[in-house]
Amino acid sequence: MSKVKIAAIGENDVMLIFKAVGVEIFPVEKTDEAIDVLNRLIKTGYGIIFITESLALSMDEQIKKYISLPLPSIVIIPGLKERNQYALKFLRNSIIKAIGVDVMKEK
Amino acid sequence: MMILQVNATRMELQRLKKRVKIAKRGHKLLKDKQDELMRQMLSQIEEVKTKRIQIENELQSILQSFVLAQSELGKEQIEEALSLPTKEVAVLVETKNLMSVKVPKFTKEVSGEIICYGFLNTSGEMDFALLKFEKFLDTLINLAEMEKKVQLLADEIDKTRRRVNALEYKLIPSLEETIRYITMKLSEFERSNLTRLMKIKDIVREH
Repeated sequence: MSKVKIAAIGENDVMLIFKAVGVEIFPVEKTDEAIDVLNRLIKTGYGIIFITESLALSMDEQIKKYISLPLPSIVIIPGLKERNQYALKFLRNSIIKAIGVDVMKEK
Repeated sequence: MMILQVNATRMELQRLKKRVKIAKRGHKLLKDKQDELMRQMLSQIEEVKTKRIQIENELQSILQSFVLAQSELGKEQIEEALSLPTKEVAVLVETKNLMSVKVPKFTKEVSGEIICYGFLNTSGEMDFALLKFEKFLDTLINLAEMEKKVQLLADEIDKTRRRVNALEYKLIPSLEETIRYITMKLSEFERSNLTRLMKIKDIVREH
């Protein structure tokens, strides 16, 4: 049992509210910065990392790389920009990969 | 199917038979593991999905109200108000072993108050948004845990399936093929030996 911190990466506007609840925030604007920050955070051992949707979309590869690690858990949150359903697509993809069938299809 | 490169001897045959037995047992175990993982996963999916959608909607509305409050007060004001948060949040991680998949379990640990600013310079909407978000953090952490579990399970299922398939379609058939090949070869030796003996006996009798 160990104690780990929570971090959030995203656009500045959204980040302030996370700061208020005591989450460590890393406001970034560009994808490159976000990737740098993510890599650094994973090395320093954070437990949960929140990333806004619009950023996550452009750093898909990086996120996939860390899927198989038990920590950290990367959680995609909706930002203020346009919605892109990244998280649901991500979930669906991992299910298709595992089971071979799309069981999440809309009924 | 490929026949393994082995000498057709009795000893080799025995060795291969043992290997097939172990491979079959391993295959059965892995297959069982795969089934169980699949069951675990399927029971989680629906829950995660509904939770995800619900959380996304809720979070968006909270963010919107927060940004609204922010626009009302001005960005500098808010940044100033929130520049020194007294609240600290961390999670305790416990790892649970679920079918040899290490699944983290998060427990929230907080200290301090969320309202870390004076009420003079900020509006009520902001307080509301923050308080709502504070409660909401629990669900977010819960989601983090569940999503990670699903991801890890998916990864493990994929790995296990590869192993099962490798055993089922590659290793076991080629072992069996090789065993058949060796048995054939050995019985062929035996027959040729027998005919040779008979022939020799014939020759001996003629003299």
